[in-house]
Formats: sequence, structure tokens, C-alpha cells
Amino acid sequence: MKIKVKLIGPLIYETGFSEKDIELAEAPTVEAVLESLAISTTRPKIITRNGKAVAPHELLENGDTIAISPIYSGG
Amino acid sequence: MFGWTGNILRVNLTTKTYKKEPFSEEFAHKWVGGRGFASKILYDEVSPGTDPLGPDNKLIVALGPIAGIPAPNTGKCVVAAKSPLTGFYGDGNLGTRVSEQLRKAGYDAMIVEGQADRPTMIYIEDDKVEFLPADAVWGQGTYATNDWIYGKYGVGVGVLNIGQGGENMNRFAVIRSMEGRAGGRPGMGAVMGSKLLKAILVKGTHPIPQADPAAMKALGIGDLKKVHKLDQETGWSKQSTTGVLQFCNEVAGLPVRNFRKTQHPDAWHIDGERLNNARVATYGCPNCTMRCGITIHDDAGHESELDYENIALLGSNLEIFDLPQVGCLNYLCDEYGLDTMSAGCVLSFYADAIDHGATDGDFKFGDAIRAKQLLHMAAHREGKVGKLLADGSLRMARAFGHNSEAYAMQVKGLEVAAYNCKFIPGQALAFGVSPIGAHHREAWIITFEINHTTRESYGPEKAAKVIELQRIRGGMFEILVACRFPWIELGWSLDNYPKYFNTITSLNWTLDDMWTTADRIYSMIKLNYLREFPQTNRKADYPPAVWFDPSNADKEGPIAGKILELDKYDGLLQHYYDQRGYDNRGIPTKATLSRLGLDAEAAEAEKVATLT
Repeated sequence: MKIKVKLIGPLIYETGFSEKDIELAEAPTVEAVLESLAISTTRPKIITRNGKAVAPHELLENGDTIAISPIYSGG
Repeated sequence: MFGWTGNILRVNLTTKTYKKEPFSEEFAHKWVGGRGFASKILYDEVSPGTDPLGPDNKLIVALGPIAGIPAPNTGKCVVAAKSPLTGFYGDGNLGTRVSEQLRKAGYDAMIVEGQADRPTMIYIEDDKVEFLPADAVWGQGTYATNDWIYGKYGVGVGVLNIGQGGENMNRFAVIRSMEGRAGGRPGMGAVMGSKLLKAILVKGTHPIPQADPAAMKALGIGDLKKVHKLDQETGWSKQSTTGVLQFCNEVAGLPVRNFRKTQHPDAWHIDGERLNNARVATYGCPNCTMRCGITIHDDAGHESELDYENIALLGSNLEIFDLPQVGCLNYLCDEYGLDTMSAGCVLSFYADAIDHGATDGDFKFGDAIRAKQLLHMAAHREGKVGKLLADGSLRMARAFGHNSEAYAMQVKGLEVAAYNCKFIPGQALAFGVSPIGAHHREAWIITFEINHTTRESYGPEKAAKVIELQRIRGGMFEILVACRFPWIELGWSLDNYPKYFNTITSLNWTLDDMWTTADRIYSMIKLNYLREFPQTNRKADYPPAVWFDPSNADKEGPIAGKILELDKYDGLLQHYYDQRGYDNRGIPTKATLSRLGLDAEAAEAEKVATLT
């Protein structure tokens, strides 16, 4: 299954990429995506699936876009 | 009394006189400083109906107990006046060395009144105040003015100054300082210009009175180091605020094409990653260890300092996706001393109004070259179009007619900051009930709405969150005075702020005391508004009508077919009023005012308006 992962702000430098297509086993969860990319969960983040909030245990579908952002307070 | 100098400097430009006026401990504890001082002084001293650009308006520069003392992000200063853009109390904050220098000179605030008879600079050095000619820099931009001042008076002097926008009384002209950025979105720069006041220069040599200076020095400097370490660990300042652009684009909250669209495939061209790659230098305010000012070379070779609000409103909102060009528009705003946010909204509204046949004109979305010319015209009030743009989007819409007010992106006359709320009800509420017009400084709840609630919800939890954030952002940080960024961005605890306050003042305040003071000040601003608009009603707290127009809903993407619903928004507004103790017009009730210690101010309001 192909998932597009987008990282926002400082996560780009922490993880070493800003956007990547990854192949995962059937029906992965958001947690599995974070784990496969070694993205730290120690600091709060907001994660969206196709632009909408997603829970960590939610099952993903082929072609989904996951965006992972730190928490901002605006500009 | 520790923590305050106990004095306000009153300067009269008409008579070229000044005096040092002491204030009481009771005044200090009730209003604290910054926005608290400014809202109370303006309520007491500027009568309703006063011409904001006349000699009877007053400009307030106000600091708080922690301002200027080394501790996380305390280099901020509040500037306030009756706004020529909105017609009632307006304010803003900016980073500047004035925050430290004015306190060292012996003042917690200054009141500038009257009108000079020629371009003037006020020079303050402790007890001495001089009125200096400003002819050499009148007509100059803020960079040239600031450089000239540094050359003549040294780089250690605190400076507030205006550019051509303020001089020509553009209604969204700001006050600038090269040690920070700009402040006073609702036309504080125009108020300076109306007084023929080009700059305020401050040097102070006294220590700021504190209960325990040694303890505060150890605490403040230690915490500055901790904040710096947190910034390095999180990497926040790699992109600073500009990471928000990609976030907003992802969740359909970006202003594109005068807020008609919420996403754009080319947005990445002007995002934080591109900005960081193009970085020339980094700047920050005094007492800041997480500097957010990223500069790039613009397409004319200037060094332009960008943040999220200006790349969104001068970039995506105008459909200009070339970073050096966006940088140039931003540079011009800074040089002329115009608010980048209002400038972006005014230009996008102009293009949209032409598109919709509300007016004639030759400006189209994406036209950076014409946008630069229009900024020049707006700053100088040049020609019919320049005069029109200089008055802001609400007055433009009223001049155009054709129902264009529906898509003039403003609330109470102040242009909307860079968040497209066509389907973000809580943030739309935050703009609607911001006490000075559509400013994001008061409350920004988009992350909360998306992460912790249903985006479709109009429930009381969103009103409660707006109030919680107003107390923190528009309240505590604006009275102390300090920058909010260490808090959410780096996870710096709010408990640190009463700790600083108590160490400096020897008081024993909790965060709850801060919230009570914040509520008092919000009510003070609402009374100020009511006195100017006694016939007001709740519709004044509605965001732009285009956000309720089903034909404006996104056709694709995460919020396809969705738009705010007016009756539900009105219900959310009522939740806010109920929780705040406001009446159905959005005005604090007599009981609320009494609880907040505002009986005398309520009695004053009742001379011209009704309270319930």
C-alpha cells in the first residue's frame, strides 16, 4: 500500500525529508507510519489524513496523504 | 512599590511641554501595564467622537512589570490609540529597545498628546525630554530613518518610528522599530503621522525597580538559556512561524485569492522550507533566544524579513508564489510602515472587486509588479486609487457598493489575519469577538479545533477555548508585556510568568489573578467600543459574509461543499457571550462590570449608551 507522508516545519530537519511516498503492509495505522519513519512522539503533534484530523489507531487506505506537524500557536 | 517605576511621561506636542506623572499602587495592581494601562488611559482621556487623526487623540506607549527585564521574550512594547481604521480603541505590540530604555528612563508608559507644528522627534533621556526637528527624515522610509537615528544617536537608543504610510495617514500604517518589527495594526502609525511625530527616541540610565533584582537576574538569564536550548532541540526557528503555511494549506485554511480558496498547489514555492533555504540572516527582538525573523534577498536585492502572516497575505492571498517577489512586497510595507496583513487584504479585495465588477481597475491576482506600485500609491495616498486603498477594505467596499462588503475581509474595520475560516467555526469566532477587530493575536484555536473537536462543531467548548486563549494571549502577555512564542511553540510553561511577575513585584499572584485582570481589560475595551458605537448589535461580531455563502464553498479538498452556517455561528457567539457574562449585543453586563471592579467606568459609559 502506498502512503504519501508530508512533514511540516522543524520535523523536516529532525527526520531528513519533507515529503516521501512509502510502501507499507495492507491497512497500516498512523502509528505504524510514524514507527516506520522513526518519527518521535515525545513532543505533541497534529496529524492529518487527506487534510482531516486522524487518530493514531485509524487504518489508512492506499493513496492516503498523511501530514505531520508540530503544534503552532499561529503566526 | 516594586516592579513599576510608578511614573507615566506625558508629552504635549502642541505646547512642547512634558511632565512626569506618578500613578498609585492601586492603579498598577488593577491595570498592570501594557494594554491594561493603554485601555484605561484612553477611556479616561479620549472622549467618544474624537477625530482619531486630530490633535485630541492620544498615542500611548505602554510597558509592563516584566518588560525590558532579561527573561524570556520581554523585549515587547504596546502602542495604542483611538484607531483611524476601526474608530475605537486600537493597539498592537512590537519588539523594540524602547521597552527596556523607557523603563530605565523612569517610566512605565508615555502619553503623547497634541499636534506638532512641524515634523518632530521626541528625544527622551531620563528626566530630560527634547523636541527635535525631523525634517531630515520626513518623507523617508523606516529603514532609512532608523539608520539615520542610529548614526546620530548611537545604536543603543530605543526607537519607534514611522514611514511614508504613517506620514500620509494611511489608516493601516504601523509603528516600526529596527530592533523588532512593527506594531499597531489599526493605524497607530497614522496617529503618529497626524501629530507630525516621525520618531520617539529613548535612552535610560537607571535600574528598573525590582523587589529582588539578584533573584530575577538569576531566574531570567537562566530561563533565557533554557528557552534557547528548547529552540535548538525542537528546531522551531529553522522555519519560525512560516511552517504554518504548509499546515494551513494541508487542512484547507490558507487564504488564497482574497480568501476565495483555502489551498493552492503552488503554495510550497513560498513555504518555510524554501524560506529557510534562502535565508540571509536571522533577527530577533531584545531579550529573545528563539529569534523568528528570517530575512531573504527580495527581487530588488533588499533584505526582507518574513513571517507567516506576510508570506500568506502578500503571497498566496494575492496568488503570488514567487518568494523574492513576496519578499519585495513585504519589504515595501516595512519601508513605508504599512501593516503587511491589512496591505495584503486590501490588495486582494481590490483585485476581487475588479473581478466581480464592483469597480474598474487594472490589478489582477498574481500581478506582483502592479502590487508594488499600488503599495507605493497607498503609502503616499497617491491619486484616486492610492487614496482609496489607504483607507482600508471596509471603506473601499462602502465606496464600491455592489454588495462588495460581503467579501471585504475585515471585522469592525480591521482586516482578517491569514487564516481562512470558511469552515473553521471557532477561529471565525475568534476573529469575530477579538476586541479590536480581526486580529489573530487574541486567540488562535485552529489546532484545537482540528485535533480535539469536530471541525463541524459549534459547541460551547470552542467558545470556552477562545476565552481561555484570549486571557492568555490578549490578556496576560499584553499586560506584562512579553511575547507568547515560547509557550506553545517550545512548551514553555505559563506558570513561569506569575513567577517572574512575583519575583519582580514581591506580590503573590497566580494565573487566576492574571485571568481576572485580562477579563477586566477586555471589558474595558468593550466599553470603549460601546461609547463610540452606542447603537451596536451582535452583527458587529460576525465575520465576513462570504464565509457563510454556499456558493463560496470549496469545490474539492478536505472541506469540499462545506461553509460556515450563520444560525449555528450565532449560537456559538451566544455561548461566548454567556460564558463571558456579556449581553445579547456582546457588551459586558452591569453585573459583569461590577464583578471586575468597573462600576465607575460603567457609569461613564451610561452617559452615552445603555448597559443591561
